[in-house]
Amino acid sequence: MSAIAPKFRLGYFLKSILDNTFWGIILLTLVGIPLVMMLLFYLELPVINGKLLSPYLAFTTLADPSRQIPLIKSLMQTDFFRIAAFPGFGFAALVAAGTIFVERKMLAKLQLRVGPFYCGKIEGILQLMSDGIKLLSKEIIIPAKADKPIFWAAPVLFVATAAAFVSLIPAAGNGWVVANVDVGIIAVFAVIGFFPVITVLSSWSANSKFPFIGGIRALHQMVSFEIPLILSVLGVVILTGTLNLTEIVESQHTYWWIVFLPIGAIVFFIAMLAELERIPFDLPEAESEIVAGWLTEFSGMMYGLVQLGSYLKLYAFAALFVVLFLGGWNGPNVWPPFPAEIIEKGIEMGPITARFPGLPLLDQQMLNDVLWFVIKVVGVIFFILLPRGVFPRIRIDLLLHIGWYKLIGLSFVNIFIALGLLYAGVLGPGGIL
Amino acid sequence: MSTEETKPAAPAESKETKPVAKAEPKELPAFEKSISDKLEKKFGSKTTIEFVKPTRIRVKVNKENVLEVAKFIRDELHFDHAESVSGVDYPSKKEIEVVYHLGSYTDPDLAKQILTLVTSATREENPNPGNDSTRLPSLREIFYSVEFHERECFEMLGVFFEGHPDNRRLLLPEDWADLPPMRKDFKIKGR
Amino acid sequence: MTAQLPPGLEIEKLDERIMTLNVGPQHPGSGHMRLIVKVDGDYIVSCDPDPGYVHRGEEKMAEYRNYITNIPHLERPVIHDSCNVLYPYCLGVEEILGLEVPERAKYLRVIASELNRCVYTQYWLAIYGIFLGHSTMFMWPAGDREFLIDALEKMTGARVTHAYFVPGGIRNDVPANFEDMVLRRVDYFEKRIKEYAAIFYDNPILISRTRDAGVLSREDAIRLGTTGSTLRASGVDFDLRTKEPYDVYEELDVKVNTLKAGDSYARSKIPWLDMLESCNIIRQAVQKMPKSGSVRVKLKPNPKGGNTEVYKRVESGRGSLGCYIVSDSKPEPYRVKMSVGSFRNLICMPYLLKGEKLGNMPAVYWSLNYWPVEADR
Repeated sequence: MSAIAPKFRLGYFLKSILDNTFWGIILLTLVGIPLVMMLLFYLELPVINGKLLSPYLAFTTLADPSRQIPLIKSLMQTDFFRIAAFPGFGFAALVAAGTIFVERKMLAKLQLRVGPFYCGKIEGILQLMSDGIKLLSKEIIIPAKADKPIFWAAPVLFVATAAAFVSLIPAAGNGWVVANVDVGIIAVFAVIGFFPVITVLSSWSANSKFPFIGGIRALHQMVSFEIPLILSVLGVVILTGTLNLTEIVESQHTYWWIVFLPIGAIVFFIAMLAELERIPFDLPEAESEIVAGWLTEFSGMMYGLVQLGSYLKLYAFAALFVVLFLGGWNGPNVWPPFPAEIIEKGIEMGPITARFPGLPLLDQQMLNDVLWFVIKVVGVIFFILLPRGVFPRIRIDLLLHIGWYKLIGLSFVNIFIALGLLYAGVLGPGGIL
Repeated sequence: MSTEETKPAAPAESKETKPVAKAEPKELPAFEKSISDKLEKKFGSKTTIEFVKPTRIRVKVNKENVLEVAKFIRDELHFDHAESVSGVDYPSKKEIEVVYHLGSYTDPDLAKQILTLVTSATREENPNPGNDSTRLPSLREIFYSVEFHERECFEMLGVFFEGHPDNRRLLLPEDWADLPPMRKDFKIKGR
Repeated sequence: MTAQLPPGLEIEKLDERIMTLNVGPQHPGSGHMRLIVKVDGDYIVSCDPDPGYVHRGEEKMAEYRNYITNIPHLERPVIHDSCNVLYPYCLGVEEILGLEVPERAKYLRVIASELNRCVYTQYWLAIYGIFLGHSTMFMWPAGDREFLIDALEKMTGARVTHAYFVPGGIRNDVPANFEDMVLRRVDYFEKRIKEYAAIFYDNPILISRTRDAGVLSREDAIRLGTTGSTLRASGVDFDLRTKEPYDVYEELDVKVNTLKAGDSYARSKIPWLDMLESCNIIRQAVQKMPKSGSVRVKLKPNPKGGNTEVYKRVESGRGSLGCYIVSDSKPEPYRVKMSVGSFRNLICMPYLLKGEKLGNMPAVYWSLNYWPVEADR
């Protein structure tokens, strides 16, 4: 901002006003109106009181709040809400942000220090926001000989794949999932299989030695731990007989699978830590040997996108663990029901009675599901964050040893246990339980 | 061992007398004398025992004989490593002294002793490190631990060690083109 | 490319398999020095250490200052272990000038030296933790050493680079409640470092990474002339505090810790055991110290000795630190040479890293108790 204003000339001032109006009109007509038309074609507009929603009706909600409820309710049923807000990207990003903050605070307390403290009135709550703004304002430096299209695309691909992963996980019963596929687990592993490819692409395109070593290590690590990951889930699949994640959760309405398949859960947990590149398995970004591994050359918002993708992956894996082994959203019904008088009679404030037809927005069962789901996911995330304060980093040959020998062996033991339970008639269709 | 461990002020009584480097009228410490006697017996006039103090002996050798003296010290006298290698520049005497301090880990009697082995190389007015007459045989074959110390001596004083596998710069930057810094005619700018 | 290259540069031919890595000064895993590492896949083929990034010419500058103004100058190689770096210099100058140090000063010197040893070892341990990726092991030692730095500040007036030792004693006496303060801090410190056993030394991942990594046998340790914790981890019990005691160490009971394995795990454990031993030494010294007395011998301005030389050595945090002073009857020394433990242990680096895995590199070379600033002087 220049502190010294240029000399004011009325002609220039009027010219600038005319310029701005001219550009405003051009943009509005040539871009804005077609955009609105396209949206109207694709968004399913709700029917309120027998009439299709029109812009006039939409704006009357400003005056009459009671008509907002059907509008909001219908918006919540759209696919767009599921993708963007819950249980898709918005929810996952919120959990990811909370995770980052809790991680920093928790590690700090473990290490006898305070963590983020000054940003925001209570204990540094706004630290993440300021970090995000800082990353946005940094210059993005691309190495001269890097492969530019792939280098630019790599973080975006990373976030996109992580978001695809998030979209497969159900967060509450009754179809609250972005993509309800019948082969849910296989779809999950197909998406997970992209991550090594993206890592190698981003490290190779950076055209530098340390990212190269980091990318190769990431490839080794992720590929060798995918197999135990898949095998440990096979036990659950054998016992439930379905690959659909929602049905797996519904099959745990009496007991959780971790009770019968603890080894599978442990193997899944360790393989999950390796896929997420969390300590003790964070070799691909081993700071002390290879600067920052495959993330070395990313700067500014590209680094921010990679971190976002990492933490989205963290949420998705934790949610997958909860869905497969900890009973998903099953839990005692503790959510209080919506008070019935408000539905029938409305809220009474003195002489005025405000009626809200169409309440409640979300039904009690769904909110209960979400509550238990979030509690369990937070618990699993806590256990994922804890090793960061306790363990050093493992070495690559020991890591591969664990992945290829020990974990595959343990997961086969788990499959035998599952088969044993099934054929003994204990679990599964026609079983005792 | 009968030696006192703290400051060897034994030869001198008053505070101002400087302990002189020549033989004293007082009696020399017995254990150190035995070591220096062994050296003298074996090599005679090739070595000069400069002083014998409690826990410190100084032996000066010509550069032609330093290899066999060092071998004798290692094999017979059981000094097994070099604690430090320093170069000292004496422009007035036109020589550069290289001082090896040798110690022993294996022999418990020699734990306190340091044998100072001194050789000297001729000093030239305009040095050309590596290509002039300031050369000494390297003791690396005998004492492995002198490898990096001799490299530092080479770059700081210009003494070329023959037989050293890797006479390269260690601490100075690769494009140092001035005199070797520890020489007395290299003046620090501004002092 | 056919033009004359500036001196010191050479063109490297690219090899099919071998990659040259520059673990250089701008590297979160290297300290202030460079290691030129040639890697074949995951195995190190050769390693060429390149110190000298912090070379300030301490020895040359020491020839321009007299014995007293050399004190704040020569303590700079290791700023938080500055008392131990000055110790052999002060002992040497006292021999040259023929000074007799008062008893109380000797005890205070021992206390300051042991406190400095703990402070340095904590910092080294913190960096060792972070090289292995263990951030808690970085925060805990870095935080716990603050109490000892506090004690040193009350003693000497400065947190680091104390400039506390002068030829003839120490600069100033300690404040009145010194014993109580030091003992309370040492008690707390000892309680804290005992907890490192659970989180660090018994940590299975740490053990799997450092066990049998960079094994230095006893004969090799002696032949390479290593010193300090590197030597004692290979089974040679040589500690100058017991072998060639200086000041009042012969009246104190010092236990020397040795381990036989010679691998990185042993080398990382010995300094921790030494710290526990230092706490005992400080307690004994505080108990035996004379309650009053002078702490410094009065010196005339520009003191000078005769034509003589001395070589004194002291056990510092990194090993035996020797100081060779040549005096020629001038107030400035003719030559000061410091033979530091880090420089002597530098030879182990190419020796041990050949054939190691690249993942073991920080675990091995920092375990040699190498302080780059000191090695460069």
